[in-house]
Amino acid sequence: MAQKDLGFYDQLEARGVTRRDFLKFCGTMTAILGLSEGMAPAIASAVEGAAGSSLFPAVWMDGGLCTGCTESVAQVTKPDIATILLDILSLNYMETISMSQGEHAEEALHETATHNEGKFVLVYEGSVMTGLDGNLLRVAEKTSLESLKEIGSKAAAIIAVGSCAVDGGWVRSVPSVKADGYPQEPEAWATGVSQYLASQNINTPVINLPCCPVNPEWVVAMIIDAVMLGGIDADGKVTAAFASKLDEEGRPKSIYGQTIHDNCPRRGHFENGEFVYKFGSPEEAAGYCLYPVGCKGPQTKTNCPVVRWNDKASWCVESGAPCIGCGNFNWVDENAPFLGRFRNIGLGMKKPVNPAAAATVVGGVAVAALAAHGFGMKAAGRIGAGAPMEKMKDWDRKHGASKKGGDK
Amino acid sequence: MPFVLYHWINALAMLFLTLSGLYIHYPVFPGFMGTARGVHFFWMFTLIINLIVRIVLAFFVKSAVMPSTREQDIDYKNWLPQEANRHQFIAWIKYYTFFKKEHPISAKYAGPQKMSYLITVPLTFFAAYTGFALWGPTSDWAFFAAGTRFFADLFGAGIGGGNLMGIRIVHYWTMWAILLFTAVHAYLANIYNFDPSRMIFLWKENDKGH
Ligand code: SF4
Repeated sequence: MAQKDLGFYDQLEARGVTRRDFLKFCGTMTAILGLSEGMAPAIASAVEGAAGSSLFPAVWMDGGLCTGCTESVAQVTKPDIATILLDILSLNYMETISMSQGEHAEEALHETATHNEGKFVLVYEGSVMTGLDGNLLRVAEKTSLESLKEIGSKAAAIIAVGSCAVDGGWVRSVPSVKADGYPQEPEAWATGVSQYLASQNINTPVINLPCCPVNPEWVVAMIIDAVMLGGIDADGKVTAAFASKLDEEGRPKSIYGQTIHDNCPRRGHFENGEFVYKFGSPEEAAGYCLYPVGCKGPQTKTNCPVVRWNDKASWCVESGAPCIGCGNFNWVDENAPFLGRFRNIGLGMKKPVNPAAAATVVGGVAVAALAAHGFGMKAAGRIGAGAPMEKMKDWDRKHGASKKGGDK
Repeated sequence: MPFVLYHWINALAMLFLTLSGLYIHYPVFPGFMGTARGVHFFWMFTLIINLIVRIVLAFFVKSAVMPSTREQDIDYKNWLPQEANRHQFIAWIKYYTFFKKEHPISAKYAGPQKMSYLITVPLTFFAAYTGFALWGPTSDWAFFAAGTRFFADLFGAGIGGGNLMGIRIVHYWTMWAILLFTAVHAYLANIYNFDPSRMIFLWKENDKGH
């Protein structure tokens, strides 16, 4: 690499990134990682140091996916800082955009894994499709399950990028409709990396970054934290300090700790009760809250409003679309319909029910039953003094009242 | 007097919680969300405190063991199964379903009555629990997050936690369950005569006795 001879900032300049841009970027990273702004220079020097030293080995593997996360991370429009940072990794294998092909690519993958056993990062994109014994996806004559087990067990840590890698994403959702019209279990039996590895007793730490697709800055932040700020130590062990930054689902708390709703620029309108009830309405033009048109911001925990998307240009709610909750688990099934408040709930049932309708029916039946019962009581002449009191409990009558005098 | 106050507070709390809850569920008209949430929080605390006070009182005050008697006992004992309730549950079900003509012997409250009244206590606490799991300031507390995780897992979110959808729906259903038992409660308590209602709404005791 000719660029190696240049200083770090010269390298950046050469790619159209000023020093100022870079420092600003480091500031953002402190926000994502939940550090104080004062840590920005530390990040800058860590990145600078890492760029000067040998590259940190990494491989990027694909499961059942749409490559949206690759697109998101690649952000091809211009070579921005995130791409350059990824150059700090020695990304030896990446199915979608790797230069080498066939045997060479395979060689690179396996060499990285065996020569750096326990000391490289595996970035996994896409779902783990366990259906048909993993034969839904075969690469280099191996099922994706075999490859994941083999490479995953050797990695120091796995970054599961995107909802698919985290819990199966849309690949595990239920639109695989069969002839009778009812949703059936999807054939792919897709699941996430952490669940699959757990089922195989492989305990490589997994960092989960759900969202569809993943936000590139989160990936970069995780790489900075894990690789450059010492989250993974020299022996390839994830440090306790780093592990404590993840929640029980393996997500970085600093990214997934608050709801979108709590940081939403439209939140004031929500509290004022200023809502968009219809697209194309004056309320929409006024930028009111999108809750009635199905915004899932109140139950979705990501920092999208803070970090934003596409080079910080904007993000869903800001650009006028209700949040569809793609940062949630099982988000397709759980959050449909995307543009409405009411939803049918499966709750483990094959045929989903509408909760409002179900509740109305059950409630109505109960009230009607009570009313009917009331008329019955009246007809039986029990209103007022009530029916004549029995002389003795039935139980006592049957079991012989003499026995210890019965209950009473 | 405590009887009347307790019922008023509960009735108002339930009314306001249901209405504001339904509004939060879907804002049918604009301009009210902040208020609805405020109302929901206020009555939620009121309802819980009211219930806790009631439970504490149950261990201190005495209440009549039967209507029209002066015999009294520590209140909570009238709620738990008593000697007179033994073996009578089936009889009561038969009686309510018109299979039995005579009024079964019972304590002040019959078995089915006790059950349907008592179940509102855990239900109310459950509504509060699921509510706190949804409420920003408390949703991260491990105690509430555990519930979120449980329902997310139960309803098939796979990896689970952090998915508020499941617990949201459970919170909503709990409301219907409470309303249902309230309807049963109001019905069973008033089926022979409207004395209890007269007392609550008009502050009048029936001095004719039974
Ligand atoms: S647009 Fe969505 S996230 Fe924003 S305030 Fe409204 S409901 Fe909340």
